[in-house]
Amino acid sequence: MNSLFWTQISAIVRIEMKKTFFAKRGLWIYLLALAPVALFFTHSMVEIHEHGARRQMVQKSARQLTERDLFSIGIGMSREDVIARLGEPPVSRTRNRRMRTGRHSSIIVPTEIMSYSDGNNELVLAVQNGAVTGIQKASGISLGQDSYVFAGVFQFFFLRLAIFFGCLGIFMNLFRGEMLDKSLHFYLLTPVRREILMIGKYLAGLLAATVIFSTSTALQFIALLLQFDAAVIAQYMDQNHGLAQMAAYLGVTVLACIGYGSIFLAAGLLFRNPIVPAAAVLIWEAANPVLPALLKKFSIIYYLKSLCPFEITLDPGMPPLFALLASNPEPISRYIAIFGLLAVSILVLLAASKRVRRLEINYSAD
Amino acid sequence: MAVYKRSYRPYSGETTPVWSRFLVLYRFSRRNLFRSKVQTVFFVICLFFPLLCLLGIYANSHLNAITFLSRSTGPFLDVNGRFFSIYLDVQAAFAFLLTAFIGPGLVSPDLANGALTLYLCRPLSRTEYVLGKISVLFITLSWMTWVPGLVLFFVQASISGWQWMWDNLWIAGAIVLGSLVWIAVLSLAALALSAWVRWRIVAGALLLGLFFFGAGFGRAINAVLRTQQGYLIDLSQLVSIIWHDLFRDAGEPPLSVSEAWIALLAFTSFCLYLLMRKIRANEVVR
Amino acid sequence: MSDRIVFDNVSKFYGDVLGVNRVNLSIPPGITSLVGPNGSGKTTLMNLMTGLIRPSRGHVSILGLTPDQPEQLFHLVGYSTQYDSFPKGLTGYQCVSSYLRLYGFDRAQSEQLTWAAIDRVGLRDAAHRKAAGYSKGMRQRIRLAQSLAHNPRVLVLDEPLNGLDPLVRAETIALFRALAKGGCHVILSSHVLHEVDIISDQVILMSAGYVAAEGNIQSVRSEIEDHPMQILIRCDRPGELASRFFAEDHVVEVRLHNDRRGLLVKTKAPDRFYLLMNRIALDGFAVESVAPCDDDVNSVYEYLIGAEEPTR
Repeated sequence: MNSLFWTQISAIVRIEMKKTFFAKRGLWIYLLALAPVALFFTHSMVEIHEHGARRQMVQKSARQLTERDLFSIGIGMSREDVIARLGEPPVSRTRNRRMRTGRHSSIIVPTEIMSYSDGNNELVLAVQNGAVTGIQKASGISLGQDSYVFAGVFQFFFLRLAIFFGCLGIFMNLFRGEMLDKSLHFYLLTPVRREILMIGKYLAGLLAATVIFSTSTALQFIALLLQFDAAVIAQYMDQNHGLAQMAAYLGVTVLACIGYGSIFLAAGLLFRNPIVPAAAVLIWEAANPVLPALLKKFSIIYYLKSLCPFEITLDPGMPPLFALLASNPEPISRYIAIFGLLAVSILVLLAASKRVRRLEINYSAD
Repeated sequence: MAVYKRSYRPYSGETTPVWSRFLVLYRFSRRNLFRSKVQTVFFVICLFFPLLCLLGIYANSHLNAITFLSRSTGPFLDVNGRFFSIYLDVQAAFAFLLTAFIGPGLVSPDLANGALTLYLCRPLSRTEYVLGKISVLFITLSWMTWVPGLVLFFVQASISGWQWMWDNLWIAGAIVLGSLVWIAVLSLAALALSAWVRWRIVAGALLLGLFFFGAGFGRAINAVLRTQQGYLIDLSQLVSIIWHDLFRDAGEPPLSVSEAWIALLAFTSFCLYLLMRKIRANEVVR
Repeated sequence: MSDRIVFDNVSKFYGDVLGVNRVNLSIPPGITSLVGPNGSGKTTLMNLMTGLIRPSRGHVSILGLTPDQPEQLFHLVGYSTQYDSFPKGLTGYQCVSSYLRLYGFDRAQSEQLTWAAIDRVGLRDAAHRKAAGYSKGMRQRIRLAQSLAHNPRVLVLDEPLNGLDPLVRAETIALFRALAKGGCHVILSSHVLHEVDIISDQVILMSAGYVAAEGNIQSVRSEIEDHPMQILIRCDRPGELASRFFAEDHVVEVRLHNDRRGLLVKTKAPDRFYLLMNRIALDGFAVESVAPCDDDVNSVYEYLIGAEEPTR
């Protein structure tokens, strides 16, 4: 590729970047990317608040409790037994609860809510007429548990929906969006090879998608860690491969943008209506586990899944359609996954370049 | 002084009743809808499953044939609330796809081409316009959800007798009400997006995103915040909670039925508000 | 390298709809106007020339290059389209300069060429405003600046005078003339027939996807034999002159002018008529002027196309 081509590609990227990053119509992509950040941030704030409340309870407690003490309480125990085992509750309040006694009758029963904590776990007891009638246990969340939840959200939501639809918006807009705007001729009337135009637009889309979604991944990770002490974070990062996991998530995000970007760029060139390819790709990706071995390799999720740091098992209560969407294809080696995904993307872009060469401007058809 | 020959006479003949004028929009949109071969073929495909169910009911009643085929004496399938609940699940998925095809094209072209003002300067009110447009989805989706559902119900009733019908009349109600809830959610979401996004195809993509992203993000909320309230933004889950109740399915739904109704009511009201707000901007003040 | 724009038996169909059919043209340098009713195929011809669409049949060649070689073609060609939209968020200046950067010009060169082009269309004051906020005429001018910024040899302009005020219109016409005088091909489409008449070196009349006529307008007029040519003669004795004309078999109609100082003659053989006029002048008639009054684009358009309805 000579220097003119690079000059042209950089000129195209500059023009496209403005549209991709600062367009009002692209705001929803930022929302897609920021939604999980907000979610993890909220989670951390809630946990920080609850942790503070538990610490206060420990300070107010008559005695130092252990997890074993807390979980030794059962339904039906008398209030005296509870006090004997756990001491006077550090937090206690009384509420009147309406109890149904018949179809049209009810009585009001005063209920004492007693809370205990060992600093990490919390036990809330409902006591009526001197006996325990309800128990609610809440355990403090460990970084290990949260990193597993993060892995699940990353694989089943962020990767398969947020990045998927984000790339759909960004990369479809590159050609199909310009046709709808009736501005694609701007490029087609310049001495730029159509293939160069496609590469320039793809790189611009990739840059935008990568920046938006990688930033989101990093922010999600940071938001998740906010609730933990510095020592816990340092240990996780140094000894439990925290940094390696974060790098893996960032790498998978970039590869997802490369893969889905190539598919949606091609789809934007080949189809007038993005619903058809979007639905088709969604179904194709979902059907990946049941596809023959050769066809499996022509999907993006096949490679991405193998690169994620955690293997996530499915929630048994998940609806069949969603379960199919979230099912795990068998893993393959990291290098095969990376090169396989890049190869699929290049193949798709090659197919798109054939189409872009024959592209005609017929805005009225859109 | 100019003398103008008064040759113009306004139309003084009979006109259609005011209440039925919105149907003009329905007829026009329906014709457009079935002009597309792809959409017509898809609509026909949507009727395959009800046909399959019909064959199942028929086969179920002819035990001899079934015994011959399966060499077992038990019932081939139980035609009960569960059967119709599954029927509605499948048809709802088809209804969603059909809405994603046709819904976004109902209002956005009128806005993009400035036709909305032309419509509203006729004796056609904002409500009638919305009614006309929504009736396209309502009637089309009805033909693939509750209408064939009721046909299946009555076929089964004709086979099993009046007692079965009387005992299971609630199923007919569940089919109709369950379908109408889903149709209302789909129609209003599609029209609201169609009114707010100039591009038909972007509105279609947003509709896909609304349902899939809502479901995914709802589950992410549940996983991260250890709650069940995330289902409040999962429209398909909310509707399935209502169906769960209507079809008297066993098991505990993740949210209460009243929560599901309130969330859906809030969502549909918001869609209606968005739709009316967008159309009001083009209304001709008389 | 050829100096012609050649259409060799070119047809373009949009599905079942005819764009243009069996077009054979060889367009020399100068101002060439494409004239025809809406839907007659003018824009299709221009889009074919610039590779925005591909012919269903036949070949197009622009100064020896084919339109599917954009990397060479657009160094020679500039096209101001009828599409009234620009890349989102760009100012008028950026529209032109970013376009030039795609040609491989460096920042300094593109800046210089951009200002030169913007000055040519008189849009310097508004250059740094968003193009999307321009008035119709300003958008027309920035499109024109964009198409001529790289100094092309072929300038293709789809209705370039639309939306321009009279002053700018006159300046733009002068610009086209200057470009044509410099050996440039200026190919434009227009509905304003009297302007086409003034500026064109040749016209291509399009009707329903076919080329109805092409060439110098007078030559085209002389080819239209089923409409007798109308010639206005100003003289001192129009009555006597009329009786002389009636004796000629090629004269089909003679009408005295209202002011009794001239007469309008319709003849099927203009050449024989002009020879006759030479003889008449020698016979002592004081002939003030002899001017054909239907060899302009307007009349030719009316004779060839006027009666036809646009097909799409």
